[in-house]
Amino acid sequence: MMLSFFDQFMSPTYLGIPLMALALTLPWVLYPTPSARWLNNRFLALQGWFINRFTQQLLLPLSLGGHKWAALLTSLMIFLITINMLGLLPYTFTPTTQLSLNLGLAVPLWLATVLIGMRNQPTHALGHLLPEGTPGPLIPVLIIIETISLFIRPLALGVRLTANLTAGHLLIQLIATAAFVLLPLMPVVAILTSTVLVLLTLLEVAVAMIQAYVFVLLLSLYLQENV
Amino acid sequence: MPTSPVKTRIPLTSFGHLITEVKRQLLGIEAPTSVELIGWRKYFNSYTLQGRRNCVLATYGIFAVTAAAYWMHRQNNKEKQASSSTG
Repeated sequence: MMLSFFDQFMSPTYLGIPLMALALTLPWVLYPTPSARWLNNRFLALQGWFINRFTQQLLLPLSLGGHKWAALLTSLMIFLITINMLGLLPYTFTPTTQLSLNLGLAVPLWLATVLIGMRNQPTHALGHLLPEGTPGPLIPVLIIIETISLFIRPLALGVRLTANLTAGHLLIQLIATAAFVLLPLMPVVAILTSTVLVLLTLLEVAVAMIQAYVFVLLLSLYLQENV
Repeated sequence: MPTSPVKTRIPLTSFGHLITEVKRQLLGIEAPTSVELIGWRKYFNSYTLQGRRNCVLATYGIFAVTAAAYWMHRQNNKEKQASSSTG
């Protein structure tokens, strides 16, 4: 069966059973639950250190009301970074290449921040839609622009993650195919292409981690405005 | 490396502080104090939080009224066309 370059992004099914739920829940198996002992093993110590450090860093600019989101934002970060990194392994499916998943994460969380702002401090939330010091004639124009940018936020969050990961995976597949095809024809060019492939893979590892962080950071910024 | 002509620490999420700092440092326009805002400018201005909120609500209200008026005008036109075609 001839595979096209986009077959890697198809939702996996086995005998008609969708495996998306498995793809989303399997990464959690990699993280052991802390036990009741005071001293755990090295892996748990490292995991605990990373989660504590990340939570501390993320919640630094947030007020007390935003600290309720600590568990949600940290678990979202661990979830996204694990899925992105596992997707870089050969023959794996990356759920975050699906726009439906990313919008499903971005829209409810963004909407939650907006509703929290409108409910708890409506004056502040509405005041954010007009920058301070705007000249008089520009006021209606800027209000429209700020409203549009408010509604674009969840789309940008979801599409950013989808586009970055999809583009990266496509590039890896294209360059790997090129290196494979060129190997019998022009070995020297194939070696150069393989070098580019190695560098690109390193870049994609960085992009996978950065995009997960950017997603969670932007959500925390939107929360900061409304809390 | 050219540096910014505006010397200030600007919060990442605040575009408004940039506007006020640019106006003050480059154009010499100072933001009015609360006692200088009199009349309708006390309630509709871009300096106080309540003023900005009222401007936003007024803009949304004008848009809603315009959209409602346009929609009712279209409904009237459709009814007139329907009655003239049957009559």
